[in-house]
Amino acid sequence: MTTSSTVPRVTRRAQTRLGIVLIAPLMVLVIVFFVLPLLSAVYYSFVDFNGINPSPPFVGLANYVHMFTDPEMWHALSNNIVWIVAGTASPLVIGLLLAILLWNVRRAGVLYRLAFFFPYVLPGIAIGIVWGWIYDPIDGWLNVALRAIGLGGLTTGWLGNPNTALFAVLATAIWASTGFVMTILLSALRNVDIELVEAARLDRANSAQRLWHIILPQITPVFIMVTTITLVGGFSVFDIIFIMTGGGPSNATNVLGTYSYSSAFQLNQISYGTTLAMLITALSIPCAVILNRVQRRLSLQGSGA
Amino acid sequence: MTDFGVLEKERRAEEAGPRRQTRRDGMRTSPRRRLDLTGKHTLLIVLSLLTVAPIILLLSTALKTRTDVKVNPFGLFTSFSFENFVNAWTQGHFSDYVLNSVLLSVPSTLLVVVLSTMAGYAFARLPFPGRTIAFYVVVLGLLVPFFTYMIPLFFQLRSLGLLDTLAGVILVLTSTSVSFGTFFMRAFFTDLPAELEQAARIDGASEWQIFYKVMLPLVGPGVSALSVFTFLQTWNNFLVPLVYLPGGGFRPLTTALYQFTSGRQIDIGPLAAATLITVLPVLVLFIVMQKQVASGFISGAVKG
Repeated sequence: MTTSSTVPRVTRRAQTRLGIVLIAPLMVLVIVFFVLPLLSAVYYSFVDFNGINPSPPFVGLANYVHMFTDPEMWHALSNNIVWIVAGTASPLVIGLLLAILLWNVRRAGVLYRLAFFFPYVLPGIAIGIVWGWIYDPIDGWLNVALRAIGLGGLTTGWLGNPNTALFAVLATAIWASTGFVMTILLSALRNVDIELVEAARLDRANSAQRLWHIILPQITPVFIMVTTITLVGGFSVFDIIFIMTGGGPSNATNVLGTYSYSSAFQLNQISYGTTLAMLITALSIPCAVILNRVQRRLSLQGSGA
Repeated sequence: MTDFGVLEKERRAEEAGPRRQTRRDGMRTSPRRRLDLTGKHTLLIVLSLLTVAPIILLLSTALKTRTDVKVNPFGLFTSFSFENFVNAWTQGHFSDYVLNSVLLSVPSTLLVVVLSTMAGYAFARLPFPGRTIAFYVVVLGLLVPFFTYMIPLFFQLRSLGLLDTLAGVILVLTSTSVSFGTFFMRAFFTDLPAELEQAARIDGASEWQIFYKVMLPLVGPGVSALSVFTFLQTWNNFLVPLVYLPGGGFRPLTTALYQFTSGRQIDIGPLAAATLITVLPVLVLFIVMQKQVASGFISGAVKG
């Protein structure tokens, strides 16, 4: 920081001037494209706006009352919760196993890491298209594989069947995010004290015991971080579900994001869509705040995450 | 990938032998460990193949001939032709969509990097009135999901005449990434030693020169990581063009592909080729600049 009293007044003034010049473009952009629409969002949720009427009537809490008594909202929210629980637990478990598997692999380690991480950088639309083919009712790899191992009875149109659609999309999301979780855990594992693990090995601790008692306690903060990351994303998940199923079949995969989008842009219930978005906000901000705290604490400890 | 697996296995068999031999006298579990290692690599190769399988499927379907793709769309490499690419590029108008994607993501990336670097420096090293409140606004931008203000922003853009325009979408893309960018760059500037700045000041440098000539060159790694990350984010972005380009002008690859899939009759061959065209720059960037990409995605995970 340069705010110490040794800085002469002329320098201070020059610094202030430059500071304002450097910050001004950002603030203009953020105020016009973030703060203003954010305030409008609060306003929209208290009026009845259909996208056309220039002065929508004030309705107080009616949108919120409607939302909390809307069975489809609760259904969508329960899908979000399924998404969050399964979508957090599976990448954590699979990612941890992969990370431990890769832990002291030197040769070709980079190539494995690239292979596992790359789905995370792909555009959601490409992921949705290719996995749509894998789930294809007739030629899809999944059904072909099931028939090949004699489980032909299990074949179904994975994305068209309301009982399987959510889990099919979820499996795709897990495929896309596991490598990312693995990469974070791998960098955390680098800070694990190998001596302790070796000592435990000498004390005849088996590998499950070593994992549970020696390794996991040392990487707990990173676990918390990854969990909160997926929590934050879990309430506002939209792209992959919208692309693969559009919230269907018959709302089976509807989450708050797709419900908000279809209310606003397909049914012209602008105010109700915005109220649903406010719910997403109210649910995800606390998680984001916790995440921010955890990350700051981690970077203070210098564990490199 | 298959080739790499086999090669690696052979090489390891050759190299591991002698090295293990020399260390054997002092080591407890050499043969068992070697067995472990072979098993580990086999498992890892199988798992990485499973992970990359969807991309192999994409490549295989994109390279099929028109007749083969109708009969056997997902059989691996049963025919070879570039006709799907030609078809997608010309009849599918994907040449236009590639251009639109570039026109959207390159300017937004430049804007994000320039604005974030400037603001990051100001927040890290310059005192100015209102700094605390300005910083809180930026933090808010990190915490609030895009969904919250997405719908009102649609009507705001409409009343500003920015709906369905290149400028409107570029500005929205920029504003959704700029909070993270500012945070990211601020961390780099905070880490620089104060002595550098003082020394430059004693040498008679102006505050602007200190920023531009002394400090800026030192945050090169930050700038390149932010550029790659932001470019990928905007290139992949689906929701922003979906909502703010409702008329379909300047449609980028992502929403064009979506449009393609929701057509009445889906032509899988050209769709595969077009998807591959969309994915290719991402894969190339990821492989060439993996370090920058990983660091960007790991610190940018908050924005989900």
